[in-house]
Amino acid sequence: MTCPRCDHSTIAVMATSPVPDVWELLRCARCGYAWRTTEPARRTTRAAYPKVFQLTQADIDAAVEVPVVPEQ
Amino acid sequence: MERTRLMAYDDLRAFLAELDKNGQLLSISEEVTAEPDLAAAANAVSRVEGSPALYFDNVQGFRDAKIALNVHGSWPNHALALGLPPDTLVREQVEEFARRWENFPVPPVRRVSPPWAENTRTGDEVNIFDVLPVFRLNDGDSGFFLDKAAVVSRDPTDPGNFGKQNVGIYRLEVKGPRRLGLQPAPMHDIAIHLQRAEESHEDLPIAIAVGNDPAITLAAATPMAYDQSEYELAGALRGEPAPIATAPLTGLDVPWGSEVVLEGVVEGRKRELEGPFGEFTGHYSGGRKMPVVRVDRISYRTNPIYESLYLGMPWTELDYLIGPATCVQLYQQLKADFPEVQAVNAMYTHGLLAIISTKTRYGGFAKAVGMRAMTTPHGLGYCKMVIVVDAEVDPFDLPRVMWAMSTKVNAAADLVNLPNLSVLHLDPSSEPAGISNKLIIDATTPVPPDRRGRFEQAVHDLPETGDWVRRLQAVRKGKP
Repeated sequence: MTCPRCDHSTIAVMATSPVPDVWELLRCARCGYAWRTTEPARRTTRAAYPKVFQLTQADIDAAVEVPVVPEQ
Repeated sequence: MERTRLMAYDDLRAFLAELDKNGQLLSISEEVTAEPDLAAAANAVSRVEGSPALYFDNVQGFRDAKIALNVHGSWPNHALALGLPPDTLVREQVEEFARRWENFPVPPVRRVSPPWAENTRTGDEVNIFDVLPVFRLNDGDSGFFLDKAAVVSRDPTDPGNFGKQNVGIYRLEVKGPRRLGLQPAPMHDIAIHLQRAEESHEDLPIAIAVGNDPAITLAAATPMAYDQSEYELAGALRGEPAPIATAPLTGLDVPWGSEVVLEGVVEGRKRELEGPFGEFTGHYSGGRKMPVVRVDRISYRTNPIYESLYLGMPWTELDYLIGPATCVQLYQQLKADFPEVQAVNAMYTHGLLAIISTKTRYGGFAKAVGMRAMTTPHGLGYCKMVIVVDAEVDPFDLPRVMWAMSTKVNAAADLVNLPNLSVLHLDPSSEPAGISNKLIIDATTPVPPDRRGRFEQAVHDLPETGDWVRRLQAVRKGKP
């Protein structure tokens, strides 16, 4: 499994369902995309994830700071 | 209308009971999924008659999750939040909001033993996921967000100043058991607090109150002046002092009746990818590097109710929540300089577009009113388009506004295009993000020395029309 949004392969388990074995909340270590394993495929699989929301490392690097950190 | 009727709710639960009593709360007891059901239901409810609040207590995989959505999401709900009859007309709700504002400031009352003090976790024992059943709203959202919490912070250079303590609603992305992303738009008060902390290389203490009485939420959604207290506005809106309590870790003032209170710091000089998130503009925000919150303490009622709202393509709950508040704040600030201003309708996309009716003292006056709207605290980030109409045109009556636009405006002299002004980064047309031209459309009748057009022979209602309105209404009701 890779991140649906950025295709990164390191995924962490952020939480599990209070009722055991129903779902997990996962989070990508690179882009921070988070999802519940029971969500529709369009949110949980790389193949079905909409292109318009996909991210690359270059996109992450180019993201602007809001608000800008004040100068030293 | 019973304008004097006032009902103050001390917490979310009291208001949910009142909504229920008025048929404005729909409880869904069958099992639903966290996604996509919760957001889809809240997205759908604006198309259901009366647009009631929603309450879910049977969500797949959870044991005790209780979720309230669309609490402010209709005109009847907004009226009830102000203690008004649910059938109060929109303009009357805005006028009543403005009238109560005149009682500002109403100092809050400090109470002990807040119900959220019942349970506490600190440090690494904090786990937001154990307490709040967070869920995704829109497909392209980067994760799970708290989007209706009251975020409290103080000015680090003037920490004893109660008025400068800010209570605002800022989106928070849940990034881990005790880690959040925070969106402070540069023109918002919390961004000023953060900047002052970061200039001193310090963290900014904050408290985040989830699930509040409706007046606190309305006040937190109101774009107030920097040194005005949202708690003192909440008191004016509810007609009695707002109950507050001291947050145990940070000493910040938080609502007494909250369901959950998170405390911690915005980590100074740190930015991390946040978003995108489907926003009130009807567009996603894009991903930006934004501040990060470390949660050091969580206090909560046993089985708390998680209050959230759906937002996306307007109109959604957010538009009801911020619409009247935005109108009133802009009206008050304009009226202070220009008593000629009659009314402000800034309910479209949080006032990115505003319609102002005003008397015009001399040629060019309406354009000055439009420019002043753009330089109010809220206008600095909004008011990208300001339509100015004559005093006789009700800015809430859109057909009349369109009439004024279509007949009074000549692009030769009635458009003022101001280059490269500030606007909130979320405006998808801004270029670069945060910068936009702004436009004043002067749809008032030109007055001397601005002599243009042929407006002297206007058609007015016949003098007898008012009588006939009443006669026809009586006939329709069967009373001669």
